[in-house]
Amino acid sequence: MHGEKKSAIRQTVFLIVAIAITVIFMFPLLWVIVSSFKTRLEVFLLPPKWIFLPTAQNYRDIFTSDFMYQFRNSLIIAALSMGISLFLGSLTAYGFSRYSIRGSEGLLFWILSLRMLPPIAVVIPFYLLFRSLGLLDTNAALILVYCIFNISFSIWVLKGFFDEIPIELEEAAKLDGYSPLQVFWKVSLPLARSGIATTAIFCLIQSLNEFLVALTLTTRKAVTAPVGLAKLQTFLGTDWGRISAAAVIFMIPVVVFTILVRNELIRGMSFGRMQ
Amino acid sequence: MRELNQILVPKRRSQERWFRFLLFVPTMVFLVLMVIFPLVYSVNISLYDYVRGREPRFIGLGNYLQLFQSEQFWLVTWITLRITLTCVAIEMGLGLLLGFALSQRIPGMGFFRLIIFLPMMLAPLVAGLFWRLLLDQTFGLVNFFLERIGLQPVEWLTNPRFAIWGIILTDVWQWTPFVVLLTLAGLGTIPPELQEAATLDRAHPWMRFKHIYLPYLRMPIMLAVLFRSIDTLKMFDVPYILTGGGPGDLTTTLSLLGYRNLFAFFKVGVASAISWFVVIIVNVLVNILLKILSPKRKIPTETVDTGL
Repeated sequence: MHGEKKSAIRQTVFLIVAIAITVIFMFPLLWVIVSSFKTRLEVFLLPPKWIFLPTAQNYRDIFTSDFMYQFRNSLIIAALSMGISLFLGSLTAYGFSRYSIRGSEGLLFWILSLRMLPPIAVVIPFYLLFRSLGLLDTNAALILVYCIFNISFSIWVLKGFFDEIPIELEEAAKLDGYSPLQVFWKVSLPLARSGIATTAIFCLIQSLNEFLVALTLTTRKAVTAPVGLAKLQTFLGTDWGRISAAAVIFMIPVVVFTILVRNELIRGMSFGRMQ
Repeated sequence: MRELNQILVPKRRSQERWFRFLLFVPTMVFLVLMVIFPLVYSVNISLYDYVRGREPRFIGLGNYLQLFQSEQFWLVTWITLRITLTCVAIEMGLGLLLGFALSQRIPGMGFFRLIIFLPMMLAPLVAGLFWRLLLDQTFGLVNFFLERIGLQPVEWLTNPRFAIWGIILTDVWQWTPFVVLLTLAGLGTIPPELQEAATLDRAHPWMRFKHIYLPYLRMPIMLAVLFRSIDTLKMFDVPYILTGGGPGDLTTTLSLLGYRNLFAFFKVGVASAISWFVVIIVNVLVNILLKILSPKRKIPTETVDTGL
C-alpha cells in the first residue's frame, strides 16, 4: 500500500516534469503559429496579446506570393531525389546485406563517412561545374547533389532493414526457380516495404530542409522553400506575420512526416547506427 | 534432373554475376563521380589564385599560407570550435538529464516525446527564424520575460558578448531532443530485470549510474557526441539567418566564411581552401573522438550495434 502511494506520487512528479519540458520545447513553435494569425501591428505588441481576432491575411498574402512556387519546387526536388536515391540505395543496401564482395567493409565505411562531408566543400566545385554546364538554377542540379546524401543515408538504413529479413524466405524462392533479380524484386523488396517507406520519408525531410546547397546553386527558377524563407526575411524585414505564415506552411509536410515515422526516429536520425 | 541442373547452373551463375553488377556498380559510379571528382577539383582550385572574372594563376599553397596568416581566419576557426564545444557540452548534459526524466512510463508519454522530437526535424533555417523572432531586441519575447523577472534586456543579435549565445541557444533548442532520443533508445535496451535491480538496490546513485546505466548508454553517448560535433562544425544556416555572422565576425563560422569568400568577394581559390580546412578539421575531430569514445571494454552488443 505504502509502495503504491509512493509510486503514484512519483508518477505525478514525472508527469509534471514531462509536461514542463514539452511546453518549453513547444513554445517557439506555438509562438510562430500564433504570430502567423496576427496583424502587422499585433505582432509587435508587448505584453503579447494571447486573445485576439485571428486574421488569415498573412496566409492570403503568402498564397499569392512566389513562396508557393518555391514550396512546390522544394517538394518536386525532394520527391525526385528521394526516388533516385531509393532506387540505387535499395539495390546497393541489398548487395551489402546479402553478398560479401572484396573490400565491402571499406566501401561501407566510406559511404558512412559521407555523413561528415561538409556541404560547403562540395558546393564550391559544383557551383563552378554547373555554371559551365549551364545547370545553375535548375532543379536537376539540386536533385543530383541531394542524391549524394540521400543515397548514402538510404544504403545504411536500408541495409539494417534487409538484414532483418530471414534469409530462408529468399532461399525458398530460389529453389522455386526465381532468378536473383526476381528474388530481390518479388520477395525481399516487398518484405522491406515499411523500411523503404521510412527511409523515403527521411530522405524527403532531409532534402526539404537543406539550405546551403540550394542557396548557392539557385537564383530564381529553382529556389526552394528555405531559401525563399530567408529571402522573405531579407525583403520583408519585420513583417513577421507573413514570415511566420510561410514558415508554418513549410512546416506542415515535415510535421506530418515526423508523425508518420515517429516510431522509427532513432533509426533515421542515427543513420541506422542504433536500432 | 541432373541434366536439368547442368543446364541451369551456368545460366544461374551468369545471372548472379549480372545481378551483382547491378547491385553495386551504378551506385558506386554515381557516388564516385559526384563525390571524388568535385573534391579533387576543389583541391585543384584551392591551389590557384582564382578570383572570378580574372585568369586563374597557380600559386601552390599560397591560399592556405594567406589564410594561416590571417587573423580573421583564426578568429573564425576559434568561434566555430567554441560554438561546437559549448553546444555539444550543453546538449549532452541537458539531453541525458531530460532523457532520464522522460524514460518513465506515464500516460501520454508518446505524445510528449513526439512534441519534443519535433524541433530536430525542422529545417535549421526555420529554427533560426523562430529564434530571430523570439530574441528580437524590441519586440522579442525573451527580453520581455527577462524584464518581467527584473533582469536587463539583452541585444541578443547585435551585442558582441551575447550574439554567440543566440546561436548556441538555437542549436541547443533544436538538437537537445536528438540526445534525448538516443538516451531513451539506450535506456530502452536495458533488460527489465536489471532495471528492477537498480531501483531496489540501495547503492550510491553514481555507482548505480556507472554500473547499470552507463554500459548501455555508452553507444548512444558516442553517437550523439559524434553526430553533434560533426554537424556543429559544419554549421551555416543558423548564423546566416540569425546574425549574418555579426557583429563583426563574432558569430561567423568556417562554412559562412567560405560562402562569403565565394559570393561576396568572388575569391574562389580562398573559398576552396577554407572548405578543405573544414573537411580536415571535421576528420581530425572525428578521429580524436573515436579514439576517446570507442569502448575499451566489451559493451553489451546483443541489441546495440557497435559499428563505426
